[in-house]
Amino acid sequence: MKKMLPESELARDERFVRSKIEDQIFDPRGAKIAQRNTGPAKMATDRPAAAERSRSLMHGIFVGEIQALEGAGRTCFDFDDTEAPFQLKLDMARQCWDESRHCEISIKLGDHMGAEIGEYSENTFLYAAACNPDPVFRLCGVNRALEGLAIDVFSTMKEFGTESGDPVLEFCEDWMLADEVTHVKMGSDWLRRLTEKDPDRRERALEFQRTVDSIFNLGGFRGDDEENVIQLARRFRELAGFTEQENDSLSALARESTQQARQMAEMASAAADQS
Amino acid sequence: MARVTVTPDPFTLVPFDAAEIAALVEDVAAAVEFPLDIDISVEVDEELFPPLTGHMSDIVDGTAQLWVSVANLENPRVRRTFAPEQARPDVAVMLLRAKDRLSEDFADAPPDPQLDRGERAAWDIYAFGRAERFGFAVRRPRELYGFRLQHGFTDVADAAFERCWNAPTMTYAGILEICKETGAADRGVSKVPIDILRQK
Repeated sequence: MKKMLPESELARDERFVRSKIEDQIFDPRGAKIAQRNTGPAKMATDRPAAAERSRSLMHGIFVGEIQALEGAGRTCFDFDDTEAPFQLKLDMARQCWDESRHCEISIKLGDHMGAEIGEYSENTFLYAAACNPDPVFRLCGVNRALEGLAIDVFSTMKEFGTESGDPVLEFCEDWMLADEVTHVKMGSDWLRRLTEKDPDRRERALEFQRTVDSIFNLGGFRGDDEENVIQLARRFRELAGFTEQENDSLSALARESTQQARQMAEMASAAADQS
Repeated sequence: MARVTVTPDPFTLVPFDAAEIAALVEDVAAAVEFPLDIDISVEVDEELFPPLTGHMSDIVDGTAQLWVSVANLENPRVRRTFAPEQARPDVAVMLLRAKDRLSEDFADAPPDPQLDRGERAAWDIYAFGRAERFGFAVRRPRELYGFRLQHGFTDVADAAFERCWNAPTMTYAGILEICKETGAADRGVSKVPIDILRQK
């Protein structure tokens, strides 16, 4: 079996359609929409297209779970025992079990919302973060950055379930949220153990985590405000072992991303108006 | 002048063809038995994109004025691609609601921007049920979820959904009654206008 599988070789059946990030970036509507008030982005029943937005996000969570399963599975296989201790691989195997359940739960939640598998496109940049050849970087990118994002996403969806009075969504998200806290703690634990005698490697791995965090702020996708779709779940992040300083730093990064996205939209709009 | 007019023409942000959309609307109008003597004006907001879906139907000066997000006409798997099979049921619902507005049964109904979310959800379900019976590929679980978001995840709401879906006829007063029954009428007024996507 091939080691270090690139994202282009991920196996999917004919239901799945992969999107490219550049299709989103170069969609001329992005600049127009950025200048309009389409209401608060935070999920709520009184937001426009609330049902369609939650379905679309749920499908994004579902394909994210598939990729998280693939990423954890690859970490079990891609490294020998000197690069990644057997106990770490056992933790990743346990994570695979969790992610598999999350896939099944997400499918059921999609059914509950009236979505179909493959109804929305899939982008694979989550898996891309799990392709780093250094297991410590991979753990930082996946278990701390992405599983940290999963905490924010599940907490947001759980709140949406509470707000809409949807007990199915609320409980399912809560159960998955508990697993994500464990996944982050595993990442933090292995980062500390594997870099105990190599602070430089630890710092570079944390820098990689910040890069992944920055990518997944996606121009305002995540943050502390109502204008962000996904809310930073500070309390659950603390339970997972993130410090207040780390949470503040992520929040600042998110605000920066939102601001950058706004500036880019203004520039794109100005360019479009001139042409 | 054609019975169906579509704006913008041409589209500039998505490679959609106004004539193709007009033909689709004409076809769906015939299928739902929309009155032949009523002109139909369709305004497509091409700036919106999935998942920012939405549509509105009103009768102004004897013309059916339909507003729709381009996201309702677009394939959510392939950006900026027209998806007629997806557009048809939504167009059917828009036309059925416009047809309702021409009848005495909905004479008291305020324009779409003034409906509250519960009323709109119940009316949509009444239209989706009929669209399915006209043969359109409607996805019932999807519509049930949208209804529950506004009327609650309760047995009372689900029973109300069934009634709306299966109703051969309905009045605006009936819609209001359903909103009282499920508690949707008691929800506080939202700060987010129902037509916010339409506002530029």
